[in-house]
Amino acid sequence: MTGAIEVENLRKQYEGVQALDGVSLSVPEGSFFGLLGPNGAGKTTFINILVGLVRRSGGRAEVFGHDVEDDYREARDAIGLAPQEFNVDHFFPIREVLEHKAGYHGIPASEAAERADEVLKQVGIYEKRDTRFNWLSGGMKRRFMLARALITDPDLLILDEPTAGVDVQLRHDLWDLITELNESGTTILLTTHYIEEAERLCDEVAILDSGNLLTVATPEELMDRGPDKIRVTLRNPPVGTPDMPMLRGGGAGSEDRIEAVEMDGDQLVVTATQGGLVAPDLVRALDRAGHEIVNFDISRTSLEEVFVDMTREGGSDQESAEAVAADGGERQ
Amino acid sequence: MSRLAGLTGFKTLARREILRFLRRPRNTFVPPFVTNVLYFSVFGVILGDRVGEISIGASTEPIPYILFILPGLVVLGAISNAFENASFSIFHGRWNDYIEETLTSPMSYSRMVVAYIVAGATRGLLVGGLIAVIGAFFTPVGVAQPLYLVAFALVITLLFSSFGVVGGLWADDWDNLTMMNQFIVRPLVFFGGVFYAVRELPSPYQELSMLNPMVYMVNGVRYGFLGVSEVDPNWSLAVLSGLTAAILALDIVLFKRGYGLTD
Repeated sequence: MTGAIEVENLRKQYEGVQALDGVSLSVPEGSFFGLLGPNGAGKTTFINILVGLVRRSGGRAEVFGHDVEDDYREARDAIGLAPQEFNVDHFFPIREVLEHKAGYHGIPASEAAERADEVLKQVGIYEKRDTRFNWLSGGMKRRFMLARALITDPDLLILDEPTAGVDVQLRHDLWDLITELNESGTTILLTTHYIEEAERLCDEVAILDSGNLLTVATPEELMDRGPDKIRVTLRNPPVGTPDMPMLRGGGAGSEDRIEAVEMDGDQLVVTATQGGLVAPDLVRALDRAGHEIVNFDISRTSLEEVFVDMTREGGSDQESAEAVAADGGERQ
Repeated sequence: MSRLAGLTGFKTLARREILRFLRRPRNTFVPPFVTNVLYFSVFGVILGDRVGEISIGASTEPIPYILFILPGLVVLGAISNAFENASFSIFHGRWNDYIEETLTSPMSYSRMVVAYIVAGATRGLLVGGLIAVIGAFFTPVGVAQPLYLVAFALVITLLFSSFGVVGGLWADDWDNLTMMNQFIVRPLVFFGGVFYAVRELPSPYQELSMLNPMVYMVNGVRYGFLGVSEVDPNWSLAVLSGLTAAILALDIVLFKRGYGLTD
């Protein structure tokens, strides 16, 4: 099956800056795909290459099997883009802007008018249809950006920071709408700074940093890679960490997963990869050592923590990135 | 994308561009109206009475000065507006990024270019027509060669609209746009035989003037209105048509290469 997006060794160099450094990536058709990375990671450059606003320096980029430069008309016809920066024609009321956008995609005028009304209702700003873009509130502007991306009924919807600067309610409204679209078969490529957004919505995420692809994985897989925190509240906590072979790394078994041990008041805090596997051994070991457990809790690493950890290391630490790649991800 | 869908894209963009200036008549039509009323009043009536008649060919009858300048003023207004419309529209779209609405669409680059050019030429033709009507209030004017008049009007507005596309892509500041119109287009028009007959200039200015493409445009339109010209209208039409085709091709190449449009 042809992927919605197929990118191989994609490179983009601006004057003195390697914005994309050989990125290879495949976004399956119908998926909800997240593109994460800090500012300057290359996310917007990646998107702009797909839609024709940036010319690649090298490599291959295809949308539904169409090269974004050689078959640009077919590729662009499949894409609906809601960019991060507002780039809306402010000479015309928003309804007409939508009709124009539909027309550029070859949709006849009468159908374009119907669709414009439809998407304005869909994003909840139909009553503002005769208003120019500049007169809309910030939230309405974001809604309009989505409406414009939807007017052509795209097979691939690219959302570059669609919820940047919007309130919580609107963010949730947009999430619901985007999720519905994805469930109806639209492939979604989402870039966001809200890791919670990616964690909640995406089937798969790619992490970019300094133009390099650090990894591609499901949010679950990524969170599995990060350490969990096991917090055990003890009845009579010791002054220091309990003196047990398991916590000293002297045993044989799940203690290999333990990365750190410390006391935090009456709590023993154990940082370990896949904490769920460590927990039974830890409880038994504490029991054998005579400690009475009052409470027990495992908190999973958030995607945000994994993201911060990876991008802190990824841009400069080759070994770290390669280790990630070896762990099921990709790296160019 | 089918051919029909491509044509829909072209029609949509051309319509959008035309509506943009039609919905702002105070910006589009009032300035040339005021300017040309002044031109006809000062140059045509006040100075024209002193200049009297002007002869543009040994075998032709001298014509009143106000009638002599009318075709040149039509050309000046038509090409300035054609140039301004295309250059402004593209530069403004680049400046505010909304040209991306068009660039990210599946329209072919050649259709995008032609849509911008057609819209610019339409504005030039409308303003040129307005100036001719204003002139008719000052002096009776006929159309001696209607086909030539239409042909020259079309070619010169298409040509300058095509130049406007280059200007809109090249400019990286508003000052560049003003500079192109004020320091390139207008001086060429003023030295292109709008207000005087080129044949009355001493050598080498007469020969140098013949290098100015405006001379051919002004004389072409003058031929359409008055039936007299200092240069062969057929030759002028052929050269101007060739130049228009060349600049149109240049526009398409620049769009395809993303000059001024993509990183």
